Amino acid sequence: MLMLNWRGYFFLLPVFFAMLVFFCLPSCKQEGKQALPAQVDFNFHIKPILVQKCYLCHGPDPSSREAGLRLDLKEGATMLLESGKTAIVPSAVHKSALIERITSDNPEVVMPPPSLKQKLSDYEVALIKKWIKEGAEYEPHWAFMPAETNKKVVKADFFEQIDALIQEKISEKGLESSEKADKYQLIRRLSFVLTGLPPDVERVKQFVADECPEAYMDLVDEYLNHPAFGEKWASHWMDVVRYAETKGHEFDYQIQGAWRFRDYLIRAFNQGVPYDQLLKEQLMGDMLSSPRENPVSGENESALGTMFFTMSEGTHSPVDIKKDEADRIDNMIDVVGKSFQGLTVACAKCHDHKFDPIPTADYYGLYGMLGSTRFSPLPVGNGKIKFNTVSKAAELKRKIKSLVANEWTGPLEEDSIPVRLVNISSVPESAKDINIIADFRGLDFQGWKADGLAFGANTTLGEPIFSSSTSTLKALSPGFASSQQFGRGIWGALRSPDFTVDKNFIGISARGKGASIRIVMENFQLISYPIYGGLDQKVDDEAWQNYTFDLSAWKGRKVYIEILPGSFVRHQYTQKADAYIEAEYVISFDEAWQTPDLKDTEANLSISKVVNHWVTGKSSAKEIAFLNRELTKGKLKKDFPSALALKMKCDSLGRLVKDSVFIQGVTEGFGGESNIFIRGNHSDPSNEKVPRIFLSGIFEEQKPYQGDGSGRQQMVEMMLAADNPLTSRVMVNRIWHHVFGKGLVETVDNFGLQGKLPTHPELLDYLALAFVKNSWSIKTMIKNMVLTQAFQRSTSGGSMSLDPDNLYLSRYSVRRLEAESIRDAVLKAAGTLDSTMFGKPVPVHLTEFMQGRGRPGDSGPLDGNGRRSVYLEVRRNFLDRMMTAFDRPTPFTTFGKRDVTNVPAQSLFLMNDPFITEQANHMANQLLNNKNLMEDEDRINDAYLRAFARLPSPDEISKGLGFVNKTKIQLAENAESDKALNILAWKEYCHALFNMKSFIYLM
Amino acid sequence: MNYHKPFFNRTLSRREMLKMSSCGFGSLALMGMVGSLGSACKSTDRESQALLSQLAKAPNFLPKAKNVIFLYMDGGVSQVDSFDPKPRLAKENGMDPKFKIDATQFNNNGKILQSPWDFKQYGESGLAVSELFPHIASCADDLALIRSMVSDFPEHTNANYFLHTGSGLQGRPSMGAWVNYGLGTENSNLPGYVVLDGGLIPPGGVDNFKNGFLPADYQASIMKTGNIPVANIKPDSTSAKYQKQKLDFIHEMDAREEGSSSEIEAAIKNYELAYHMQSSVPELTEFSAESKATQKLYGLFDEDLNTRNYGAQCLMARRLVERGVRFVELTCPYMSGIDRWDQHQSLKDGHERNAHAVDQPIAGLLKDLKSRGLLEETLVVWTGEFGRTPFAQGSDGRDHNPSAFSMWMAGAGIKKGTIYGQTDEYGYRVVENPVTIHDLHATILSLLGVDHKQLTYHFGGRDFRLTDVHGNVVKDILA
Repeated sequence: MLMLNWRGYFFLLPVFFAMLVFFCLPSCKQEGKQALPAQVDFNFHIKPILVQKCYLCHGPDPSSREAGLRLDLKEGATMLLESGKTAIVPSAVHKSALIERITSDNPEVVMPPPSLKQKLSDYEVALIKKWIKEGAEYEPHWAFMPAETNKKVVKADFFEQIDALIQEKISEKGLESSEKADKYQLIRRLSFVLTGLPPDVERVKQFVADECPEAYMDLVDEYLNHPAFGEKWASHWMDVVRYAETKGHEFDYQIQGAWRFRDYLIRAFNQGVPYDQLLKEQLMGDMLSSPRENPVSGENESALGTMFFTMSEGTHSPVDIKKDEADRIDNMIDVVGKSFQGLTVACAKCHDHKFDPIPTADYYGLYGMLGSTRFSPLPVGNGKIKFNTVSKAAELKRKIKSLVANEWTGPLEEDSIPVRLVNISSVPESAKDINIIADFRGLDFQGWKADGLAFGANTTLGEPIFSSSTSTLKALSPGFASSQQFGRGIWGALRSPDFTVDKNFIGISARGKGASIRIVMENFQLISYPIYGGLDQKVDDEAWQNYTFDLSAWKGRKVYIEILPGSFVRHQYTQKADAYIEAEYVISFDEAWQTPDLKDTEANLSISKVVNHWVTGKSSAKEIAFLNRELTKGKLKKDFPSALALKMKCDSLGRLVKDSVFIQGVTEGFGGESNIFIRGNHSDPSNEKVPRIFLSGIFEEQKPYQGDGSGRQQMVEMMLAADNPLTSRVMVNRIWHHVFGKGLVETVDNFGLQGKLPTHPELLDYLALAFVKNSWSIKTMIKNMVLTQAFQRSTSGGSMSLDPDNLYLSRYSVRRLEAESIRDAVLKAAGTLDSTMFGKPVPVHLTEFMQGRGRPGDSGPLDGNGRRSVYLEVRRNFLDRMMTAFDRPTPFTTFGKRDVTNVPAQSLFLMNDPFITEQANHMANQLLNNKNLMEDEDRINDAYLRAFARLPSPDEISKGLGFVNKTKIQLAENAESDKALNILAWKEYCHALFNMKSFIYLM
Repeated sequence: MNYHKPFFNRTLSRREMLKMSSCGFGSLALMGMVGSLGSACKSTDRESQALLSQLAKAPNFLPKAKNVIFLYMDGGVSQVDSFDPKPRLAKENGMDPKFKIDATQFNNNGKILQSPWDFKQYGESGLAVSELFPHIASCADDLALIRSMVSDFPEHTNANYFLHTGSGLQGRPSMGAWVNYGLGTENSNLPGYVVLDGGLIPPGGVDNFKNGFLPADYQASIMKTGNIPVANIKPDSTSAKYQKQKLDFIHEMDAREEGSSSEIEAAIKNYELAYHMQSSVPELTEFSAESKATQKLYGLFDEDLNTRNYGAQCLMARRLVERGVRFVELTCPYMSGIDRWDQHQSLKDGHERNAHAVDQPIAGLLKDLKSRGLLEETLVVWTGEFGRTPFAQGSDGRDHNPSAFSMWMAGAGIKKGTIYGQTDEYGYRVVENPVTIHDLHATILSLLGVDHKQLTYHFGGRDFRLTDVHGNVVKDILA
């Protein structure tokens, strides 16, 4: 009867009455009585109605537009329709066909169609009428307009101004604020919000006793500067960037060095790295001209930020590799859009966004940027020292050359006679089916891109080779690309531009040790059996060999070639201390391998000219061959003891540089635009490519990026442009969400038309402007939020009934602690918290309910070694059971706002999980072994301070004692001694404390 | 427990209505109605969506099925060796395939491989079933067989996610979660979506059974058939005896917070539910209440340990739907030496052992449900994530084939003894009435009385559906 018959009895059903009220909450809960606003505001009154009830068929997406009518633009709404009518005639309610349609009784005529169950309420109709009467003014979406505050900043202090703006609303709504929270509540609240941990017992006592007016301010500063601050706030950001340490899917492969990204975030929040810098580092940390260095290790912090991109999932051996790339880039676009702009850009994958001004071309503009960004191992360690060392070695090499050249260009007899130089190659004309992709026997890299230090700036052509036995110059090296220009074990990657496979085979003449060559197809990284194993070949032979890749099955695919001194083992890049790779040339062919000709032209040069070319780095292969012949003939001096000494110094410098630890980050590829995939189908690309541009529908003044790189810098520039109103608003709102439990815009990841409206638009704008003014300082922002009276209010009192959702902050909202904080609080109360920071994750504890492929061989410890939850491993296919039960999100997209559910699995966990009972036992021992706690009453006092950061009431003490004593009697038979019985009883008591609601709720 | 109350007549109970109002409008809760575990109040606005869905949308039409038992044949059963006989394979056995072959995962494609098993026709419907499934064959007249299933993915993980969630990617809500989101549960002491783990969690892990962006209430509870079916369902041994006393003490202490917020009150109530689950869940595995004959029917006395294990899962599935659990999925038993139904080699041995494990228990389940009248309100679904190739991988295996596979349904609302769809002469591709995974989802939802186009959830800026923008109900197999 519920569904089938109830329409007739609508108003009889109490449930429907409840629904009716519910539907209208919270923005217009008293609408029945509420008068129309004095002035109708398009953004706040009209657009929410249009978005919810009209845009699906009359919005920005032309593919679903009905009757040629669009209501999202004034031009559309006021134009003459084919039907001869006009939807909206400003100032003329009766001429506006829209009014006729939304008020009609005829089910054939009324809009929205009855089947959509979106009928407009009388209040909504009245609003629209008034709006039309007032001229039907359209305004851009509020979030796309610049932040501004018309209000005079009346208060001297930042936080006082926040309070003033909150108070304004409270007064306007006729609400009353609650009292200030008591000091116990305050310290617990502040400690959890800033550090994610309960306060130290001693600190609670001290704070409560401290009567100084600055006591609270001091506490705020103390927690902001506490190392635990970074751990807490990094974990918030980890939700935003879908942080995980494995790739999920079939085998749940590791994301190399993911935990270093977590540590990077913790350091950054603790050091107060400005938000604009954090944004830059995550989106283009590999490209910054002066990267941020770790003051201790010298490590390049900025590059670590790019792991933002590598947090995505990865499929094992997908058959449709193009689709896999499309899915991966889609995820990146989704997360970039939500994280930094609060926009659901990924909605524009298949069609123009239905609600926001994001045409599908903008989606593929970003696709072009991210598609021409390549994944790459990046070495960890002091990059600056390495760079300086290699630079010194390079300088020595130049010295050696000029030292030699000075001798050679002396008064040689033949110098006046030009020498005719011809090609050294004796190979006959190549057959037609060979394409030369790159020939490194010349001096340059043929347009390939060398990342890292290993490959230097050029090939080896002309490098002097000394004989160690005779201490003489033996010869000048022929040309090839070499990763041991300065020594072995140095990181570098030599990568080709993208090209399309058009022949059966790719051949590379190479040699090396522990090295590899990979053909990266459609940017696919997890190259392995059963389909793609052949695209990754190990190079572990120090003699020149021909490495052939069979690509006959992949014709037409987009690929690039990657030459690496190390190799991937289970998708982790490894590089030994003696690893290197060298490559002569790269060809593609259909039938048989043939060594290509060297493409040198003939020339007539004098010997001094040849030497001059050599020393200035302009030699061709035949010039070097000529010099070698002269050297062999004894026509050039060989004996250079001083050069040899320099060479040895150079080599020993090179040996200082070793790269052995890597993360998976990104690097620049070769720029390219993307097609539009029609209706999101990767196998149906449009003919034309779309320019690389950042949300042109919102940021109109913009030229497409046309440089050689990916264009990520354009994206970052647009995000940080002074007139981008989203970046700062979105971030201050995220901070507000974590400080107060709910954002000023509740949909923290969606500031688009479907997002919620801000409860305090002026406050939001004020904060956004203040954020930028204060150099994007996250700590300053947090500090000023927690200094407000609003933050310090009690959770009880205030206008509970008038504002049940506490939208206007007349009190502080009660909320449940996050999963991490609950676990950390258990450890801290039990005295087992290990506050060691950073490092490899603690392996996840596996139960028999956690099965499947990729399951680690061993379970991690039950108690996670007592480490804070932020250090527990995040395996996509084996997520921690406690974190999952208490709503840590599944890491697949941005979750700026967690769910807060209340399910039996949570109660069962706290009641029965061995972790909790084990910790209860530890806590009992702490209480009983503390010599300062003489009486049971003292123990209960201490237990309350540990668990709830407050003292128990007399009633709580007596009931607690009663429970302990009763339990002792009941458990007497289970214990071998009085001591054991005592521990058992107190364990039960501590266990009970963990299960009390005040333990997991923040008051 | 109201086992047999026809749920389409269900109205809101007085208790539920009270519940709604007691939690305040900002944080509505509908015990037993929207939350699979009878969730109490939450501070998100997600339940309001659930409420809307419940009241405004579902059920959209008269439901036939009340529960679903999903028999997941993990790894992919070979259609040409089970329910889709192809005599031509015998004729061309050992020859090169005369048709174009798609890329496969291993690309080690060999000659045409005839089925090692003979087929016979069964029942009045004359359904052809191979020797692999003699017991299921004896239920032929209860089945609706679809021979024209297709999937989008030839690799396990994506295909698993696709089958379970309608998307090949990780992180989307599973169909069991959608069903519970749409319809709620009938038994607030048990979860509404249960995965009976036989030992093999499919590739892709428990994310196949997750709530995705739906509230956490809707995720599957993974149960085992053993002594401790659910994690943390039993208190430790010393506590067990005195647990009630401890809970009473906790409750007394919590009273201080009562009235301070609806969230805390709900959390307090949650403990009562958890406490009840401690008794209602272990009761599920007490098979001693079942007659010897019933136990035998399920193969619980079989010599094959795997048959006994799967039999226990099937019996427990019946006990779960009997108690109102909306969606029950069975994963395959773990067998040493073979990798699920995924026979890239040694097809004969692997398929035979797998079939022996599941055949009698499944037939037992169908017969037992039928004799209890439960088959009329329970939909039983049997399928893998894709099929296998009619040509060999290596010499004696078969590779993945998403272009054609067979599945069957039985029970509520199903047109018995139907064969739907057709493959080519090799069983390699569908030639008539292809049925997509989206169609399967639409059909399952439709049997539950839910219009798949109306079961939506707003997330990240748009309304998501189990069937995305696809899906057609396969009307021809419906009674």
